Amino acid sequence: MAKRRLKNDNVRVLDSLPMLIVCIAAVSALYFVCLTKLASNNTMRYMIQIFLYITMAQMWNLLSGFTGMTSLGQQLNIGLAGYSVAIATTKLHLSLGMGLLMGVGVSVVVALLMSLILYRMEGMYFSIATWVVAEIFEKLFLNWKYVGQGSGMTIRVVPYPRINEICVVALTVCVLAVAAVYFLLRTRIGLGLTAMRDDISAASAVGVNVFNHKLFVYTIAAAFTAVAAGIFLVNKGIVYPESGFSISWTISLVFIVIVGGSGTVGGPIVGAVIYVFLQEYLARFPGWSNIILGAITILTILFLPKGIMGTLQEKLGFEIFSAKRFSYSKRR
Amino acid sequence: MYFAQVLINGILLGSVYALLGVGMTMIFGIVKLTNLAHGEFVILGAYLSTVLAPLLGIDPILTLFITVPLMFLLGFLLQYLLIGWAMKKGSEPALLVTFGLSIILQDGMLMLFSADAQHIPVSYSMDTVKIGSLEISVLHLVLFAISLVSIAALSLFLRNTYIGRAIRATADDADVAALSGVNINRIYAIAMGIAMASAAVAGLCVGMKWTYDPSAGGNYLLIAFVVVVIGGMGSVPGTLVAGILFGMAQVIGGASYGLLISYILLLLVLIFRPKGIFGK
Repeated sequence: MAKRRLKNDNVRVLDSLPMLIVCIAAVSALYFVCLTKLASNNTMRYMIQIFLYITMAQMWNLLSGFTGMTSLGQQLNIGLAGYSVAIATTKLHLSLGMGLLMGVGVSVVVALLMSLILYRMEGMYFSIATWVVAEIFEKLFLNWKYVGQGSGMTIRVVPYPRINEICVVALTVCVLAVAAVYFLLRTRIGLGLTAMRDDISAASAVGVNVFNHKLFVYTIAAAFTAVAAGIFLVNKGIVYPESGFSISWTISLVFIVIVGGSGTVGGPIVGAVIYVFLQEYLARFPGWSNIILGAITILTILFLPKGIMGTLQEKLGFEIFSAKRFSYSKRR
Repeated sequence: MYFAQVLINGILLGSVYALLGVGMTMIFGIVKLTNLAHGEFVILGAYLSTVLAPLLGIDPILTLFITVPLMFLLGFLLQYLLIGWAMKKGSEPALLVTFGLSIILQDGMLMLFSADAQHIPVSYSMDTVKIGSLEISVLHLVLFAISLVSIAALSLFLRNTYIGRAIRATADDADVAALSGVNINRIYAIAMGIAMASAAVAGLCVGMKWTYDPSAGGNYLLIAFVVVVIGGMGSVPGTLVAGILFGMAQVIGGASYGLLISYILLLLVLIFRPKGIFGK
């Protein structure tokens, strides 16, 4: 039997050494800019937002785009992280790092507890249940005296970190998140996840442990979302039930992932950059911003259903950060 | 006595919650779509009634004769022209299109009507009827009548007309219905029209009972979700029972714990009867 070689004309860019070098150079350049205060404070503020949105959107992408668990409840982790940081720094006078760690801890514990109820559900039921759990927590915090009920808590970090310190931390979290998703998808677990997305019964039949995979992914997403959200809310300085547990967080993440390209590692990166700049630009047209964001989402779904990165990959035939370990070419 | 009072108030208010769920359950059951814009449809209905009643100098309830056909038409066109297109690309794109619609509608209403809380005033909002030692609000009775008549009319329509039968056939199996000569796209559009028409009625009830503003849609979407999932998707009687359960939870728990009780009820239903109380 003739051995047929797989022709590798779907160039996967991070696999090649030059691209790896470009990536490392880009990340080091970003670190350099943050550390040396080369960028103005204003630029740095945008960069922080972009890094944090990339992290949170990448996690939503991991859940929805790669595993098929479309969560409408990412704001649960965001609110929990915000309150954890607030309690740790303002009430217990701990450092910011401890606060973030506490946020991750609380989010992971809640994610593990949620496993009892959430993982039996699929598709639409899962989406609704995640949203409802987030709403339950919002109602709990609204009635909880210790955390200031409806008026919420201010987050007072002493000493307040300088903006370039926050920027470095945000960048680190972002790089870790992207790397984690990239490498996770290329392991056996990653193959299991995409198999579950495509057909959950078939995946289960060929031996993917659906429950363990879901728990693993959900917990990772909870942890990373919590860190990013903690940093985000420190920047805002206040957290209250309606802001921390607001569905609008998930709206932003959905926009980023859909426009960037659901189910691609590069998608959330492109989407987050577009989102942050678009938001800034649209601030000039008060009232219109969500209308335009909504219209862009709908138009993207109708005309570019794979998002910017997905469409580019299809048209140009290369993938940056491919999740696949090998690919057949369409043209023979 | 307290128990009877809770029971009555729960049933009367529950009918409004059921009406909120009915439009959602139609879309779930027939179009097989999660409509994330349903809350905004309800609020839109409320605004239409609020604006039209003083403009035409008629009772708010009479505005239904204008808002219901108007919203039906809007829903029909929306499904026929936009959502149906997205549905060809899969269920998730369609879901996200309704998501986009909801934020567009929300901010569109914010610009048109400002963020101020609105209310539809009626002269009998404070009146009560006494039966024995029970006190029943006239407003609740009116809302109950409106909701029940709408739900009954919908059930009769689904049971007895040709279109109703075609709708039920489509809900059971769209392919077989199409083979038997049912125009599926038109049925989907009619179902969306009915859902929006029911949202118009629900909006009137919401506006008469509570205050609302453009951003309130998310709350009513969630209530509709809870009611639909508890009742079992696609089941109109199930929705009615779930609405009443939800209403009782609101009356027992009050403003601070009512929603919490019903959310926990929902999670329990999802764990033990994932297809809802009346689900098949």
